[in-house]
Amino acid sequence: MDFRYSTEQELFRQGVREWATKNLEPRARQIDKDEDGIPEDIVQGLVDLGVFGVTIPEELGGCAVPGEELIYAMIAVHEIARADLSMSTPVYTLLTIGWSYIVNKFGTQQLREEVLPAAAAGKAFVGINTTEPGGGSDLARIKTTGFKSDGHYVLNGEKAYVSGPKECMKLGAPSGHCSLVVTDPSTGHKGLTFIYIPAHLDGISWTVYEDMGRMGLSTGGWLYKDAKVPEYCLLGEEGKGFYHVMEGFNAARVLVAAACLGGAEKGLEISAEYSTQRKMFGRPLIKYEATSFEMVNDWMQLDMLKLNLLRGAWMIGYESQNPGTFSRKDINKVIATVKCLSPTLGHEVARHGMMYHGAFGYTKETPLEMMLRGIMSYEVGAEGGLNVMRGIIARDLWGEAANPFRADD
Amino acid sequence: MDIVVSVKTNLDLQMIRIKNREPVLEAIPYKTGDLDKNAVEAALQLRDAVGDSKVIALTVAESNRKVRETIKEVLAMGADEAVLIVDPALESTDQAGVARTLAAALQKIGSYDLVLFGEGSSDDYSGQVGPRVAELLGVPQIGYARKITAGGAGVLVERSMDEFIETLEAPLPAVLTVVSEINEPRIPSLMNIMKAGKKPTEEWSLADLGLDPAAVASSCETLSNLAEEQDRKHVMLEGGAVDQAAGLVNALLKEGILGR
Repeated sequence: MDFRYSTEQELFRQGVREWATKNLEPRARQIDKDEDGIPEDIVQGLVDLGVFGVTIPEELGGCAVPGEELIYAMIAVHEIARADLSMSTPVYTLLTIGWSYIVNKFGTQQLREEVLPAAAAGKAFVGINTTEPGGGSDLARIKTTGFKSDGHYVLNGEKAYVSGPKECMKLGAPSGHCSLVVTDPSTGHKGLTFIYIPAHLDGISWTVYEDMGRMGLSTGGWLYKDAKVPEYCLLGEEGKGFYHVMEGFNAARVLVAAACLGGAEKGLEISAEYSTQRKMFGRPLIKYEATSFEMVNDWMQLDMLKLNLLRGAWMIGYESQNPGTFSRKDINKVIATVKCLSPTLGHEVARHGMMYHGAFGYTKETPLEMMLRGIMSYEVGAEGGLNVMRGIIARDLWGEAANPFRADD
Repeated sequence: MDIVVSVKTNLDLQMIRIKNREPVLEAIPYKTGDLDKNAVEAALQLRDAVGDSKVIALTVAESNRKVRETIKEVLAMGADEAVLIVDPALESTDQAGVARTLAAALQKIGSYDLVLFGEGSSDDYSGQVGPRVAELLGVPQIGYARKITAGGAGVLVERSMDEFIETLEAPLPAVLTVVSEINEPRIPSLMNIMKAGKKPTEEWSLADLGLDPAAVASSCETLSNLAEEQDRKHVMLEGGAVDQAAGLVNALLKEGILGR
């Protein structure tokens, strides 16, 4: 057993750190302020490092290391989050590389060939849109239909709180979202199908919401009116969409946690530096245990979560190479744990840091306020709300008696 | 054109803490020297400009310096091959010993047109090794290169001197040392990182080079490696900005820094 990164993983980490510190960190505030997406040269820089290819096989333009896709993705997202605490660039990146992993796993050859080389080259945005105006936690009761007709899934319905509408429009085809639709309304969650919806089909319209944070990435809704998605956009098997999307969420949750923990790590460094220099009543702020012990509490959580996240990313990769090693429940519990605790830790680190900085922390002169705004998106819901994570753990620990997702009927 | 680049693996100086005026060297990671990466980048650019060329990374280290790992960074940047000279006797060598080892290794490699060095290493920064190797091999040397192009008698080099730029040409083979302004070293992509481990890498001992450990033993003894200490004058300038500026000019004149 070895808890260290391999030489290759460490070289990649150092490279992304060096690039992001120099090229992204000085731009993060502007990205948040401009609300105009991630600049093209930033995306291209990440493409050149191979970041957008970490989950895509070499023959499709990527540079995936089989079984280590999510470890490399986690490393990249962690380092990008350190540099852009607004979370705009890390979330933009993690969506495309996380859901490309799922398109590669479940997509048809035609879909993989259409979407993945473009995603690896930074020329396509790949996201997730399962949530609807009626909610996203209770996925089994979604309403958007995709009845099959004449070689197409014909979509009707609405998806809401989706990242990336402007990004899809800016980059053009084959940008789109992995989505869940009802193909057989008579069988509950067994009638759900996972499909890739290219954003540029006829019958699709979109809108943009005004968000609290991560202003460099748009959020909006999609309206489908007889939109015809070609059959080759099917992900996995018809009627098994619910299970496929849960697997996708596990991959995405690894990367969401990586973004929150990368941000928390950097936030703690900012606080430690400031409270070492800032003197009050004749001694540095960090000498006061009210400050240092709170920072230690945050650090202890950070250190444990980083380790557990690495374990989760490794489990998914190891299972992909050695099927049957871990049960779905084994993996779910580890991933749900880090997705439940990492956003809260990131939020707390930002809030604590603002308190140490006093009034200065409330200004836009430090990145802490934009970190707080950005990370909150992962507390309120994205990739699963915190209590949904607790529900998963309760169900997978104690079985159906503790399963909050199934009504007593 | 066959280009050999000498790279040195140093302790990561930024990670070293100083305690009781001594560096604490516990658990400090190793990394490739900064100027050495400039030399690698220069070699890669020259290789790609000339075509039909290869870049060999050459490094010399005692056994525990982890060069098998650090050399991967240079291979990931794009060097085609690596030659590692690893020997316990190199633990106590000096610039002369390293130069003798490199010269012997270059003779064993046999075919080389250019040998590139950083102008100095990130740790000792003596700047001696490149020139010493050139002398041992009996080939021309040009130091402080800020631009290298193939041409002229072999290679055209702009040297960065303190107050002027000198352009020289040299026949091949030649030894060059480069300054940091020559380029910005590339950061390897994941694709190239994964290819690095598959590139040809040779590992030789001093015996493989026909060198006796005594030939590389250091003839120097380090008495102290502390930086020179300067007492600060702590002059506080009073008054508004205009008075302070005048005071500063007067103080600098008095010190002989202005109006020389």
